[in-house]
Formats: sequence, C-alpha cells, structure tokens
Amino acid sequence: MVWNAEPIKRLLRNVVGSRSDARTPDERFRDEALPHMGAVTRYALSLTRDEPDAEDLVQETFLRAFRSWSQFEQGTECRAWLFTICRNTYVRAAHRDQRVEAHPDADLESLAAAAVHSAAQGDGIEDVFTKREVIAAVRRAVDALPEPFREAVVLVDLQEQSYGEAATILDIPKGTVRSRLFRGRRLLQEALIDHARDLGIVGARRDKIAGKGNADEEA
Amino acid sequence: MQMKKPEMLDCDAVMRQLWDYLDGELTPEREAAVRAHLSMCNRCHPQQNFEESFLHALAESRREHSRPDAVKARVMAALRADGFAARERK
Repeated sequence: MVWNAEPIKRLLRNVVGSRSDARTPDERFRDEALPHMGAVTRYALSLTRDEPDAEDLVQETFLRAFRSWSQFEQGTECRAWLFTICRNTYVRAAHRDQRVEAHPDADLESLAAAAVHSAAQGDGIEDVFTKREVIAAVRRAVDALPEPFREAVVLVDLQEQSYGEAATILDIPKGTVRSRLFRGRRLLQEALIDHARDLGIVGARRDKIAGKGNADEEA
Repeated sequence: MQMKKPEMLDCDAVMRQLWDYLDGELTPEREAAVRAHLSMCNRCHPQQNFEESFLHALAESRREHSRPDAVKARVMAALRADGFAARERK
C-alpha cells in the first residue's frame, strides 16, 4: 500500500495557514475556486453535451482542484486553472485523441469570413443570424464542429475566455487558438446559412440559380 | 511636442483584424485605428454588424444546467468527504 501523506500535509497547512494571508488554504479554496462552479458547470456541459456526464465532470474537476490546491499559483486566473483541469479530465476520460493537427491560416480565415459576409450581402440575407430558426440551430451546429475547432469556439465564444487563456487551457500556442477559432466560426456561419436556405427562411443561393440560367431571379 | 498620428488602415487590413477587434484582442492603438475605420467605412461597417449578430447568436446558444443547485450540493458533499474543512459562506 502506498502511504498518502497529502491529508496530513493539508491538515498542517490548514492549521498553520500562510504568513501573508490569515485564511486557511481551504478558506482560500472556498473564496477563490468555488465561486467559479457555475462557469465550470457550463463549460463541462459544453464539453459533454449531457447533464449527468457534466455533473460527474464538475465533481471530478473540483476534487482534483482541491487536492492540488497547493499547486495553484496565487494571483493567476483561477477560472482558467479550473477550466484546464476540467478539460484535461474530460479528455482523459473520453480517451480523446489530442494529436489532431489543425492549423488553418488565421489571416486567410478572416478574409474567408469577409467573403461569407459579401455572399450574404449579395443574397440580401445580412440579418440571417437574427432569425429565430437560425438561432435555434446554433447549438447543434457547434456540436457538429470538428473537435479542435469546437474547443476553441466553446472557450472563447461561449465561455468568454481570452485567446491567451484558451491557449493555456488547451495547451497550444495562442496563434493556433486564433486560427482554429476563426475556422470554427466560418464553418458555423456557412452551416447556419445553408440551414437557413434549407428551411426556406432565406432565398436560395443566387449563383446556383444563375447557373441554371434563370433570368427571373432578380424580380 | 509632436502628436503621434493615428494609424490609417485600409479595408483589407481591417477585415484581417475584425475578429481580433471584436474579441478585444488588439492593442489600444490598433483598436482605435480599426474603430476609426469602421465608423466611416460603408463597406466594413455592415460586416461588423453581421459578425456581431453572429457572435451574439453564438453566445446565446450556451448551455445552462437545469439544476445548478443540485450540482453544487453534490460537489460540496464530495469535497467534505475528501476533507474540505472551510465553513460555507453565507
């Protein structure tokens, strides 16, 4: 059997506290980590897309965080630290392959996004993302994104993390977060516009019709 | 004293940085330059509105747990069982 000294160490730390802060480590955990439980729950739900799985993940995240609280660097962003633990726990449990290579070019993605807008403008559907039916389809479209892009979109667009925080959480360079985020957004926009066309909320693509030689389209 | 001239950006440069701008990831100087361009450009301004409506729809799609209090109670019980000893805050 392996002797686990951690509970005794923790007890000692709790009794002694630290010199600069009168609170015990458990009290600091209560004050600094626990207030982020709502945010961690939302993030876990984004990852698992399932409430019972998310509950397991949140519990495991906070237990791991509590057990390694002494390793948390005071003064750094506690929420990002908890998200890192949450994401690592999820990846390990799901045996997900993290080695997926996805390095789109962020600049090209920005210009591609401009092209999506130009096309929407040309089709007179600039307000497509304000349509109720389109908004209702966003969650499914995010779920359907390839994992590297979904992870970046979830952290920055749904959990309001900066590029730098997302880079720390995902353990990838900031530039990679940026390019994956931009690609993810463009894929989402294209999928949602296609969805709007399928539903007949917006007109069919003009270039398709033009290709058939339909001269009445402008009417 | 010589005033520093504000940076002038063309449409192409603004389009390349529009996401960074909307995400608040630019330096203050660059952010001011992009904002200045957007405020007077008929071509870029509509794109800003389009992307903002998209980001808004995306943020709205965030999932909320149906029983956050139950999750909290469960996590607190697990932490207590693991030795967490601080009193709960009111």
